[in-house]
Amino acid sequence: MIKLNNVSFAYEKNKMILRNIHLAIEAGTCTVLVGPNGGGKTTIGKLMAGILKPSVGDVMVNELDTRTAELAEIGKKIGYLFQDPQRQLFAPTVREEIAFVMELQGVPSDQIDIRVERYLDKFQLKALENSFPFQLSRGEKQRLAIAAIMVNNPVFYILDEPTTGLDYERKKVLSAVIERLREEGIGMVIISHDQAFVKRHAQRVITVSGGELLDDTSN
Amino acid sequence: MILATDLDPRAKLFFVLVISSLAVFLQNTFLLLLVFIVCLGAVAATGGSLGNMLKKFRKFFGIFIAVVLLQSIFTQQGQAILQLGDITLLTDFGLIRGMQTILRFLIIIASALVMTTSNSREIIQGLVQWKIPFEIAFMVSIAIRFLPLLREEATDMLTAIQLRGVNLKKIPLLKRIKMYSYLLLPLISSVMVKAQELSVAMEMRAFRAYPQRTSLRVLQLGRADYLVMVLCTLFFLTVMVLYLMLI
Ligand SMILES: Nc1ncnc2c1ncn2[C@@H]1O[C@H](COP(=O)(O)OP(=O)(O)O)[C@@H](O)[C@H]1O
Ligand SMILES: [Mg+2]
Repeated sequence: MIKLNNVSFAYEKNKMILRNIHLAIEAGTCTVLVGPNGGGKTTIGKLMAGILKPSVGDVMVNELDTRTAELAEIGKKIGYLFQDPQRQLFAPTVREEIAFVMELQGVPSDQIDIRVERYLDKFQLKALENSFPFQLSRGEKQRLAIAAIMVNNPVFYILDEPTTGLDYERKKVLSAVIERLREEGIGMVIISHDQAFVKRHAQRVITVSGGELLDDTSN
Repeated sequence: MILATDLDPRAKLFFVLVISSLAVFLQNTFLLLLVFIVCLGAVAATGGSLGNMLKKFRKFFGIFIAVVLLQSIFTQQGQAILQLGDITLLTDFGLIRGMQTILRFLIIIASALVMTTSNSREIIQGLVQWKIPFEIAFMVSIAIRFLPLLREEATDMLTAIQLRGVNLKKIPLLKRIKMYSYLLLPLISSVMVKAQELSVAMEMRAFRAYPQRTSLRVLQLGRADYLVMVLCTLFFLTVMVLYLMLI
């Protein structure tokens, strides 16, 4: 599904953050990236989604080279959750946030309503449906951002610290949602510090530290 | 050689003021060109990278073409160079106006880039020692510091919206306007939130608790700084005399 071939990456010249990364992620599998802050996990995630382009080497998503592919093209396959959910919330209300991409794509409005309702329910956002996304709490933003991605039905997810800001109950809900997706054969890369969460979902755990892949364990 | 990073921020500010007032004031293409070249020379002489700067300038080429065409089509002065039927597309007047406008842009930007070699703390200190109230100097420096953050946020949001499967190039105009309004809203909100948080944080650290502020570091103008300022003044006077003689 996603392949990193000998990828190196630097934000600023001559300051390599990642060095010679080789990594292949199979479709339908659940991989968790762990490691210390600043280790390069988010950077790897962004490279995988084509948000960042590799300085050296190349990143392939299915048959698309992220260097040349349109982001929208990749976005139809991959759902990406930013570490800071604020960055991916735009609309004036929670409801529109979930609906607006479908509107832009010309999905009929009764269809949109059905799907929006489903996701409002799933992530317990119904009571907030008319709130301004910007003023939600961190956990609420997180749930909204995930809902807004899921409504696009991507075949693969990259979730950067999806449990941050979620309480115990909401984490369980998210876990259940992920479980369901996994049963549907949808693959994902999750970046997480949450030990319990990692144990529960990971088929493969990769430790990223100092810009290198230190450990790669499959269970 | 004098490095820009070693100069006092006040000397650099002086340079920027002189050069940019010349850029705004002069109406003569050759003198503007002269100022531009001298400005580039000054940047190079103080250790700036001309290559990087020229790369930045490439983006202005489109604006240049647009200004030339607009001035030619709408002022209808001067000799026509290019005509399409009855419509004059390009005139020498338009070309000159376009060149002047773009030269002004480039001069101001090139001179302002010199300021980026000082950190914001130094610039505040420079302004304060010029008797500008600390509050105002502080506001200026915050504005400067937040600009790149804002830009990063805007590009992140554009990325995020595309990643949701929206192809920016392919959506119809009306929907596109709606989408840009979507981008504006969170940007403005985030600025407001940042401003609020910052003001609270400053209150908590007792900003303006005492009317008199003291500084650990006091800037001292050195010989190089005086040299730069004298050179700037001389240059300013020369160009002005030339300019007045020419008209
Ligand atoms: N936009 C950026 N510009 C420059 N350096 C960055 C940027 N984003 C992250 N970094 C640096 O890259 C390194 C890896 O960061 P990141 O991938 O966010 O780590 P993690 O997600 O594992 O905590 C860090 O040292 C960080 O300081
Ligand atoms: Mg991270």
